[in-house]
Amino acid sequence: MGNWERLVWNQRELLLSGLGVTIEICLLAFVGAIIGGLLLCLVRLYVAPLRPVAILLIEFFRATPIFVQLMWVNYVWPEVLGWPNTFFTAGWVALALQSSGYLAETFRTGIEAVPKGHREAAASTGMPQLLIFRRIVMPQALLTAAPSLVNQFTVIVKSSTLVSVITVPDLMFQSQKIVNIWYEPIEVLTATAGIYIAFIFLISQAGKLVSDWLRRTFGLQG
Amino acid sequence: MNEAPCIRVVDVHKQFGPLEVLKGVSFDVHRASVVSMIGASGSGKSTLLRCINYLEVPSAGAIYIEGESLGFREDGSGRRSTRPLREINRMRRDLGVVFQQFNLWPHMTVLGNIIEAPIRVLGLPRKDALERADECLRTVRLSDKANEYPARLSGGQQQRAAIARALAMRPKVMLFDEPTSSLDPELTDEVLNVMRELARAGTTMIVVTHEMDFAREVSDRVLFLHDGLIDEEGSPEQVFTAPRSERCRQFLAKYLK
Amino acid sequence: MSETLRQSLDLELFWEYRAVLFGGLLFNAGIFACAAAAALALGLCAALLRVSLARPLRWVGTVYVELFRNAPDYVMLVWVHFVLPLLLGVALRTRIEFHPFLSAVVALGLVYSGYFAETFRAGIQSIPKGNIEAGRAVGMSERLILSRITLPQVVRRMVPEALNIFVSLFKATTIVSLIAVPDLMYRVSMVTQQEMRPLPLYTGAALTYFVVIFVVATLLRWASERWRRTVLV
Repeated sequence: MGNWERLVWNQRELLLSGLGVTIEICLLAFVGAIIGGLLLCLVRLYVAPLRPVAILLIEFFRATPIFVQLMWVNYVWPEVLGWPNTFFTAGWVALALQSSGYLAETFRTGIEAVPKGHREAAASTGMPQLLIFRRIVMPQALLTAAPSLVNQFTVIVKSSTLVSVITVPDLMFQSQKIVNIWYEPIEVLTATAGIYIAFIFLISQAGKLVSDWLRRTFGLQG
Repeated sequence: MNEAPCIRVVDVHKQFGPLEVLKGVSFDVHRASVVSMIGASGSGKSTLLRCINYLEVPSAGAIYIEGESLGFREDGSGRRSTRPLREINRMRRDLGVVFQQFNLWPHMTVLGNIIEAPIRVLGLPRKDALERADECLRTVRLSDKANEYPARLSGGQQQRAAIARALAMRPKVMLFDEPTSSLDPELTDEVLNVMRELARAGTTMIVVTHEMDFAREVSDRVLFLHDGLIDEEGSPEQVFTAPRSERCRQFLAKYLK
Repeated sequence: MSETLRQSLDLELFWEYRAVLFGGLLFNAGIFACAAAAALALGLCAALLRVSLARPLRWVGTVYVELFRNAPDYVMLVWVHFVLPLLLGVALRTRIEFHPFLSAVVALGLVYSGYFAETFRAGIQSIPKGNIEAGRAVGMSERLILSRITLPQVVRRMVPEALNIFVSLFKATTIVSLIAVPDLMYRVSMVTQQEMRPLPLYTGAALTYFVVIFVVATLLRWASERWRRTVLV
């Protein structure tokens, strides 16, 4: 057990700071993906002239591997766009891109799942279209999408391990740093894997609770 | 009755592609009266009800609400121009609709469903909307379920909540589109009783229904639709006991055994 | 700016190295094929454990599935490549090293077996009990019921979800470059170091993966839909 103490417990500050960076970059990517996904979805559904562009972007983000996107955003974007200018930014932007493609489709499914009758009930009280969308359609679509949102967050956390490759000091990065100092990978890497698995397991259990709650309270199938 | 009819339907046609569902229907609804529309499924009665509210836009003909046309404006010289949606929306507030599938908004409580349109469409202060909701909930005897989400209610309770939601707009006319057709038989009475009370209190109502006993008891006028036309119309006694049309007789024979 | 933009879209450099880079793509395909076979086999075993009648077996299945389904690909890859050989070495009292290709197949096979197990299980549990009872009623043996009634339905039901997992797995094969499997991404980074021009190379790689994955996935989805429609009714 001496090794565990020396290589894991005594390194806890480094590992915890890494976990902090992981959580930070994942939350940023998540918020970015939700905003990007909503935009892509709304353009696809309601802005006819830009529809092909939105579809192409959604398919591109969905069909390209996250690692390739990360390298692309990290090496190509700064030269073409002059941005992102830090590895951290490149990291969360790439994570957000991939998920925004998936979330755009999730939101679309949610919007299309709102029964036509709910819109008609609103129209029959004289509600204008925009108000119907904002008060009746969107809240339901977001509730229906909630379990998929949580699920997508677990995907982001899994993918976030790759930002260590572009030297973002997340949990994976710190753990490999410890390996490179001591050349004893067993304990640190096992502990790191354990932390990730536990973290992601907890999030997906939370997702199950969310979808149970949706079914019980609102009768919605998430 | 010498006052102007509350709703006047004039020669309404509705076409879905090549299919003509309504072939020219006209009738009047007077204030504080109940008009029932009966007929086989596919006879066009639900489409007619949806046309009255402009959920379906009639292909031809006109709907007048207290003398004002719903679909277009007429200026002094009789020239017509299409109404903008904004004005149609304003006039729709006068028509409350109760749907077969209830269509309660699942993400809001019963109370939330009821006060939504009064606050956002009529611009009522929240306090007034809540008072109205309270009153409507008492009318449908659902005060104890105000804070439940629709998914927790039985079908009958959901439909009564939907009636309360429509009443909260203080509409001039209530439209019921087969309000008990998706309910279990043992739950239809609680909804029909609420509707009976509304009729007794002088609510103007148009009801599409398959509940013949109810139609007979409550209506001032009954329309029998067949194949997109009014095939028989008159007082309940006349339509139910001495129908002139053979088709109406056959239809009733099936329902009244 | 416009000069760099032109350069970034100038895929000539990418084209020049096409033979080398295409060879890399074959590594992606090879790892995908091996890992997919392993994941399907392991996934089916885990799913059968999860629906078995013995509670301890169900537990083993559940732990297995949750362990690998919740593990990030990259963490698993690093763990299998650097830790697993050491542990095996201690157990067998020898020195063991994994070839990067083997590590890649084992790591991805394990992670994706977790996903397949869930899909298999959902498929098995979605078969109406009445189907099985009807099989028994006409005197079919349990084995015959499994092979003629249950499995064919499970397979048909899980095809769309399985395709999604296959797509994810293929995308995941790009990370094997990080343990020096010479796949497309690995070779792109090698060429980049030589040419010092990341723009056309990474853009070319992204486009290549996009086209390959998008076209193959779309074709497969289309074909499987047709197949499902012809066999299911």
